[in-house]
This record gives sequence, structure tokens and C-alpha cells, in this order.
Amino acid sequence: MFYYKIFKLFFLSSLLSVSLFSYPQISQDIKDKKIYPMGEKIYKAKCNNIDVTGFKTYEALSLAIKDSLCGTLSKKYEESLSLYIWDVKLGDSEVHEKLLVSKKDKCQVCGMYMHHYPTWVSRIKYPNGEAYNFDGMKCMFKFYFNNKKGITDILVQDYYTLHTLNAREAYFVIGSDVYGPMGHELIPFVDKKSATTFSLEHKGDKVYTFDEITENMVRSLGR
Amino acid sequence: MTLLVALLASTLFISNAMKSEYNTIINSYPDIVITNQKALRDTTINEDEVYKVLSIKGVSSAVARVWGHYYFLNGDEKFLILGRDEFETYSNPLLNASSNIAKDSMLVSKEVKKSLQKSYYTEYFNFIKADGSIKRLTIQKTLERSNFLENSALIIMNNDSAKEIFEYDDHEVTDLSVSVANKIEVAFIAAKLKILFPSARVSVKDDLRVMYENIYNLRSGFFLTIFIITFFTFFIIIYDKVSGLNSEQRREIGILKALGWRVGDVLNTRFYEGAMISLVSYILGIVLAFIYVYYFNAPYLKGIFLNNYDLLKDFRIVFNIDFETLALLFFLSVPIYIAATVIPSWRVATLEADEVMR
Repeated sequence: MFYYKIFKLFFLSSLLSVSLFSYPQISQDIKDKKIYPMGEKIYKAKCNNIDVTGFKTYEALSLAIKDSLCGTLSKKYEESLSLYIWDVKLGDSEVHEKLLVSKKDKCQVCGMYMHHYPTWVSRIKYPNGEAYNFDGMKCMFKFYFNNKKGITDILVQDYYTLHTLNAREAYFVIGSDVYGPMGHELIPFVDKKSATTFSLEHKGDKVYTFDEITENMVRSLGR
Repeated sequence: MTLLVALLASTLFISNAMKSEYNTIINSYPDIVITNQKALRDTTINEDEVYKVLSIKGVSSAVARVWGHYYFLNGDEKFLILGRDEFETYSNPLLNASSNIAKDSMLVSKEVKKSLQKSYYTEYFNFIKADGSIKRLTIQKTLERSNFLENSALIIMNNDSAKEIFEYDDHEVTDLSVSVANKIEVAFIAAKLKILFPSARVSVKDDLRVMYENIYNLRSGFFLTIFIITFFTFFIIIYDKVSGLNSEQRREIGILKALGWRVGDVLNTRFYEGAMISLVSYILGIVLAFIYVYYFNAPYLKGIFLNNYDLLKDFRIVFNIDFETLALLFFLSVPIYIAATVIPSWRVATLEADEVMR
């Protein structure tokens, strides 16, 4: 009986300590694909001249928005807006430039015109601003293994979302049934989960990080 | 000859314009649409299914859409109603326009406004629901027309108004529209969705495009009919020429031969004559077609391609010059005409001069 009372005490206290406005548990996919775009639209439409930088906790921000900081909104919009502001606006996420090429740009290694295959463009950048574009990851790696010195950034596009990634933090799948413009390719992904999903679905051989890739691997993919 | 070329050219120009217009429209469609079905008939879907779709890698966005048709009894026409959530992003740019739609209001296209005015509705309209009760929506604004091949009787309203008119439950929506960032993955994701939603119809945009391209393709549909008719007429004319020159022309050739002209000379003259005629009529024909199609907007011919003739009277045909089309017309008309004039002359000219004059 006594232990039961203690248990009830703990149970109730834990229940009460969960704040009503604490950070909601939502999968990252849903946040990226639905909540942030919606939050961005709401922010642009309603929070034009409002300063949202002063909030120290998510709870405080969420409370303020419910108190009509950006006007009256329905519950669904309030949550999207708070999450957007907290994660995107006030968060720090490195966003790289979109890898765009003109009609005249050719791959540094194979010489192909790249504007036909915009989703395969990769880029190596140097401190003096010089940049080389490549028609896929295979060409980029071939160049990289011969010219490792002085490179600042290596950028590739995530296969699933086409967002620009830092290649050194990306995961690559070799041996899949998805061919790039130069044939067999190393396909880049933003995280291990995407890479593994892709590898399983498209009969890839293995998932590698940037550092695990060797020159022999790239050579074995053919010309 | 000129008229024939003009006719052919006009049909080619119109169909090209429509193809390009259609391509523009189809780009505003989502990559994949999931429509739930019961007994293979379209039905509604729960909007929470969207989260299942969003968890698939490769899907860049998924939206639960509310849209449908409303039959307007007095005007005997169907209105297309598109519901929208103000802060969602849709693949159709019309729905993303920034103007806020007030509660119980709607945006209507010009056709709908006209139609409603005929029935004396100027500032609002009463939608009738299944149980006979009424949902009134105020006309907030009239939309400018953006493209022509789409259904032009269009109404845009908030999702909750649309749900009320269609008598959907709170979580019911018409279908799910899915966008995929990397187009290589579309077919694969469509296959995944077919497994995830076994009782739904999963339509892929590319299939639609192929289907409509086939209609405007040179090798099928309306176009083929017109093509065959003009071609046929053309060949009748040619045949007429080939099946023998009339006596006057034969005498002319005979005289020329008697005067000492060699066979080669006669053929030469005939060749230049034929070439000039066909070239001039080709150019004239193209120019005529140009003016007819682009300047006057092809008054009667358009009706063959488009359904609702009255509504589309002011369809502005996009300026679309295709080298292939011009080349096609050229090779169809000019060499054939020349051949048709030269060959019989050659036949005649090789006979003895006196035989001909007889």
C-alpha cells in the first residue's frame, strides 16, 4: 500500500512536470518536408516586422506565439511557426550554394556538357575562388585523388533531396543500379540512413564515408 | 496549291502551339497523385495518410488536396472547385498566390462570374448541399485567366469551405499530391506507394504527358485526319498533271522541238517553271497560314482541336516556329510538284516532234 502511494506520487509528478509547450517529438522527415516550408510561409506572411531573436527556450517562443506574437493563428500553424523559427531561423545550419551550371560548362575531367544532367553536378572549390565542376562523383574523385592540395570545399548533391552537401561529410553508395551520365557512379547521401535505404532498394554494394573511398574503388567503376 | 500549303501549315502551327501550351500546364501537375479507391471507384482518403508518404526517402513534399466539381443547375454547367490551405505549397501555381481568402469567401474565374451573373448572383453564391441546406460564399475577387486548355470554370476557396460543400468529414480529403525531387526516383517511389496504398490509384505525371503527346502527335488522332485529307487533295492534283498533258501543252512542246529545242532544254524550262510555281505557292502558303493562325487566331480551324468553342474564342496561339515543320511542308510540296510537272513533259518531249503535233 505504501509503495503504491510512492509510485502514484512519482507518476503524477512526472506527468505534471511535462510542460505543455515542450518541444514536440516529430520525425525529421516530416519537419523538413512539411513543417519548415509551412512555417516559412507563415513567417513571411505574418511575422514581418517582429523580432523573434530574444527567446532563450523553445517554450518561451511557443508561448509568445500562442499569445499572438505574429497575429492569431490556428493551433497547427502555431506549432509549425514555432518549430520553423526555433530550428531554422535561430538554429545554425550550413546551407551551401545550389550547384548551377551554364550551357557552356564542361566537366573538368571528361569534358561533357553538364547542363543536360543538372542533378549530377559536383564541385571542388579553392580558396582563391576558383571552382571546378564535374559530371558526377566519379569524375570528381578522379580529379581529387590527383590534386588533393589546397582544396577548401568539395560539394555534391544529395540524391534524394538534391540539396548541396559537403562531400567530406556525405555517405556514398557504390555499385547500385542507378547510372550517372558517365556510367557506374558513387551516389552521395546526407546521412547513413538514406544511404542504407538506397543501397537496399537499388542493389548497392556498400555504404562508404568520404574517407573510406580509395582510388582503386573509383577506378573499378570504369571510365 | 497555295491554299493547300496554307491549310497544312495552319494545322501544324496550331497543333504545335497546343502541344507547347499543354507542356506548360502539365508542368504544374504534381509528380504523383494518390487517389483512394473503393471497388475501383474514386473515393476520399484520410489526410493523415500524408505522413506515411512523407516518411519515404526521395519524396520532397506531399499535400492533402481537397477539390472536386459542383453542378450548377441553373446554368447547366460544372464548376471546378479547388480548395487550398493558405500556408501549404501546391504544385499548381494558381493555388500558391499570396492573396488571403477571407472566411466564407471565394475567388472565381471570369467564366464562373459570367455564369453566376446570368442567374442574378453578383456578389455571392449559394452552394446547395446534399440535404438541401445552403452554404453561402462571397465572391472576393475575379481571377485573370492564365491558361486555356484547363477547365475554365474555376473557383478557389479555403479548404474548410470546400469540405463543407462536398460534405467531407474533418479528416477527409480528395487525394494526395506527391512531389519527388530527383526525377530518376519517381517510378521507384510510385511503385513503393502502390504497395503502401494497395487500394489506391497511383497516377504518375509522365504517363499523362505521354498520353497527351500521342494526341498531338503527327502519327495519330485529329491531326492525322487533317493531314490525310490535305495530302489526298494534293495527290489528286498531282495525278491530274501526271496523267498526261492536255493537247495544247503537247502541241507547245512539239513546236518547241520542231524549232530545234533539245529534250534537255524542254525539261529545263519545265523544271524552272515547276520550281517557281511551287516555291512561290509554298512561301505564300506559309505566309497565309501565319497570318491566319497568329494574327487572326485561326477562327474556324481551332474548333477542330478544342472542345469548348465559345469559351476559347480568344485563345491566343503561342508564337511557335519550328524548323522541322517548315522543312516538312517544303519537302512535301515543292519536290513533288516539280516532279509532277517535269516527268510528263519528259515523256512527251521524247516523242518525235511530228508525232506530237498530230
